[in-house]
Amino acid sequence: MKVFSINFLLQATPAPETVVGGPLGGMSVLEQLLFTLIILVVLGGGLAIINLSSTMLKLQQARLLASTNPDLIKEVGLENLTKPTSWWDELMKKLTDRVPIEKEASIVLDHDYDGVRELDNNLPPWWKGLFYASIVFAPIYLYFNHFADSAASTQELYAMEMAEAEEDVKAFLATQKNAIDESNVILLADADALSNGNIIFQSKCAVCHGKEGEGGIGPNLTDEYWIHGGSIIDVFKTIKHGVPEKGMIAWKNDLRARDMQEVASFILGLVGTNPPNPKEAQGELYIISVEEPEGAEESK
Amino acid sequence: MTETSTAPETTGLEHFAYDNKSVKLFAYATAFWGLIGMTVGLLAALQMVFPSFNLTAELTFGRIRPLHTNAVIFAFVGNGIFMGVYYSLQRLLKTRMFSDLLSTIHFYGWQLIIVAAAITLPLGLTTSKEYAELEWPIDIGIAVVWIIFGINMFGTILKRRERHLYVALWFYIATWVTVTVLHVGNSLEIPVGLWKSYPLFAGVQDALVQWWYGHNAVAFFLTTPYLGLMYYFLPKAANRPVFSYRLSIIHFWALIFIYIWAGPHHLLYTSLPDWAQSLGTVFSLMLIAPSWGGMLNGLLTLRGAWDKVREDPVLKMFVVAITAYGMATLEGPLLSIKSVNAISHYTDWTVGHVHIGTLGWNGMLTFGVLYYIFPRLFSTKLYSKSLANVHFWIATLGTVFYAVPLYWAGWTQSAMWKQFLPEGMLQYGNFLETVSAILPMYAMRAFGGAIYLAGVILMIYNLIKTVQQGKFVANEPAAAPPLSASPGGHKGEYWHRWIERRPVQLLVGSTILVLIGGLAEVFPMVIVEDNVPKIASVMPYTPLELQGRDIYIREGCNNCHSQMIRPFRSETERYGQYSKSGEFIYDRPHLWGSKRTGPDVHRVGGKYPDSWHYRHMEDPQSTSPGSIMPDYSWLLTRKLNNDLLPAKIRVLQTLGTPYEEGYDEQAIADAEAQAAIIATSLRNDGIEDAELEQKEIIAIIAYLQRLGTDIKTTK
Repeated sequence: MKVFSINFLLQATPAPETVVGGPLGGMSVLEQLLFTLIILVVLGGGLAIINLSSTMLKLQQARLLASTNPDLIKEVGLENLTKPTSWWDELMKKLTDRVPIEKEASIVLDHDYDGVRELDNNLPPWWKGLFYASIVFAPIYLYFNHFADSAASTQELYAMEMAEAEEDVKAFLATQKNAIDESNVILLADADALSNGNIIFQSKCAVCHGKEGEGGIGPNLTDEYWIHGGSIIDVFKTIKHGVPEKGMIAWKNDLRARDMQEVASFILGLVGTNPPNPKEAQGELYIISVEEPEGAEESK
Repeated sequence: MTETSTAPETTGLEHFAYDNKSVKLFAYATAFWGLIGMTVGLLAALQMVFPSFNLTAELTFGRIRPLHTNAVIFAFVGNGIFMGVYYSLQRLLKTRMFSDLLSTIHFYGWQLIIVAAAITLPLGLTTSKEYAELEWPIDIGIAVVWIIFGINMFGTILKRRERHLYVALWFYIATWVTVTVLHVGNSLEIPVGLWKSYPLFAGVQDALVQWWYGHNAVAFFLTTPYLGLMYYFLPKAANRPVFSYRLSIIHFWALIFIYIWAGPHHLLYTSLPDWAQSLGTVFSLMLIAPSWGGMLNGLLTLRGAWDKVREDPVLKMFVVAITAYGMATLEGPLLSIKSVNAISHYTDWTVGHVHIGTLGWNGMLTFGVLYYIFPRLFSTKLYSKSLANVHFWIATLGTVFYAVPLYWAGWTQSAMWKQFLPEGMLQYGNFLETVSAILPMYAMRAFGGAIYLAGVILMIYNLIKTVQQGKFVANEPAAAPPLSASPGGHKGEYWHRWIERRPVQLLVGSTILVLIGGLAEVFPMVIVEDNVPKIASVMPYTPLELQGRDIYIREGCNNCHSQMIRPFRSETERYGQYSKSGEFIYDRPHLWGSKRTGPDVHRVGGKYPDSWHYRHMEDPQSTSPGSIMPDYSWLLTRKLNNDLLPAKIRVLQTLGTPYEEGYDEQAIADAEAQAAIIATSLRNDGIEDAELEQKEIIAIIAYLQRLGTDIKTTK
């Protein structure tokens, strides 16, 4: 079964660090604040659970001791459990404002439904606070997103994101010397580049152009006929911008310039290989000049 | 609280019997459909790891996924609701169900609808609207059975022996009325044939109505009725009084009022106008406290009964259910914050979130109720408490094993979608790389689902053994004093006591409350034209494209492919310019989707040659190595049926699609002409098939090549 190879393990490994940076980086101050708050709540919850479980453990211990050897309770220092008046209990009492179980009879409502009775405890103050806060938050959110001077529509936010990205990319490219594009691309001949080109070809191009470039959905790449020109510059251009009306995909968003140069060089190396089952020739005859690796311009 | 008590009157007790037969039938159906629905879910989970599990056209993921959701929501939970309601309603009102005949019709009618769903969905008869996929004849069936349930419930309430309605009943009443409104509102459609219809609304409006429905199906089918069940079965099983009557009141009314508004949070960053999205966000946040009111009242009711929780599997199940409910209802609002949603939407995070709610809350609560009810119906003890304990642990672990990998998958994939190289291009430009990366998580999810299902099988064994050792009491004798005269309003009475004595006013009040939010959002969207700015170049689909679109719907492509590019750099770089609301005005129904197992296809038109689509449908791995998409080879062999086409054109004209007068007579000829052009292009690329023009594949290629191109041509 080819569908579940272990290839995904290999593919999943590259560049994990850059992946992680994503979500937090894009957050505004308010969102970071909110995020911190959520983390604090989660941490608080965790502490509460730890506290609770240790208390339960002690209770259980005390309960066991009480049934087997009551005298021991004092010795191991568990007698305080019977009088729980720690800061924690005080806090819980404040937060929940509930009537203790022993005094519960005072707030049982005087009706029952098939044996189900109801207490009349107060609403837990923290819950009420949460509810009020979320209600107060609503008009504030709506004001800042729709009525304030700083309010930006989704479309405006998108335009801002794109402008920012464009600047970042420009700044990055400025630091890159000898950026490869269609004005200066040259044919590569070294083995490393061609074998890398082969890898890219097999993963991206072979689907339409055949594993050996013999053609399929797309044209044959091994003959000397080219629909959009057969110089390294032409092939690079076709790969980069595609020919959308004929179904050739633009790869500029998927491949780096260097990758496109390598795969273009690999493709030109296929010319004349005569693989089996070739697709018929399409386009015009193009003879690659021998000196091309040195001066790409003259082929035009 | 100076309410006079309902202590026995001098007139003595009235004797009657509870109807346990209906409860038993619904209980059996709950367990049975739970098993079926979850097995289908496991199949879907396996299909995502091993595409070869897409055995036949009828069993492809696109058809199986809606079958799974419908089965677990409407068959498993649906029967669970009726089981719990029929059991608790009679006991809370001290009376027998209103009519045994209606109870019987209700039971068999509902099972018939489930069977109809189980047949039609694999056949590809679907509206494509999530959780409302069933076609119009079944929609009508659902409405009829639901109204029968309503009559039976209100009839029982009216002949009650208990003056006041307990909180569980408020939830039942709100559930009934809201589901009625939602079902009718979202099923407004015009039939084209027996198994095909087009919805009244198109594009953005259809999406808003759909998610007003979809969100509140979660609210009023998976949440409010189950809160009602919790309010009855939890205090009964724990033998403790409910923590706070006041909390019940506040959280009930707040919950039903606020829930309705939150639907648009399913459409954040889509073409839905910003104002509607913001309403979705703020109302979702306001929903945290009312939702947690139910959790608090549940958990705090257990004060002083935690010893019992350790012993009793029923209570254990309840505790995990309520905890899962609390987690899911906090997570939901957090996912409604736009910046969080930008990460989570379309990923498996959503699927993980949903399953905390369904496996945790609905599943565990149902199991608890089943373990509670069976021994009582059969006047015996549960066959094996330790087996139930094992089930408890398996179910809990299953939920964790199911959800955690999906959270991980969602975060991983979302981060990969959004990752750019400094050169300004996507690091993972090929969508498949982001799928391959999470396949191990999908495998673990299938494992989690499998052990959860194993727990259900254990439970069914345990219940069967319980049934065998017990003796069924079809009519359980009971006695209660007759209904006391209404005490009327009196000074010092708590204000809410008044409405608890008046089921009709309670029904009307909750109807008004739930209508407010829906109307406030849907009406402006339908009436104010500015909400959907027109785009001059957007034209109706050609007849062949329309046929292709209906095949896309039949195959359930929308279950894995969205048609909604959000305004993010990471999406416009990958898919093309973001989707505009004006592009969807002829989309009946909208096909925005909610999950991207495959890439968005809104701008796939013109991206690949026709022959690429042909090869891709024939064998997806040939054009996209490593793809987990099933093959759709039958599209290459089945002939397109144009019989309904003229009727489709006429219905769309009625709904306002501007085909010229009398176009229905020309539609088939136009479809054939367009098919010939596509067939020629395929033949030019070496595809050989003498009858190519007549095949379904031609129609779907026509549709895919049209997608998103209307506004490309204007540029």
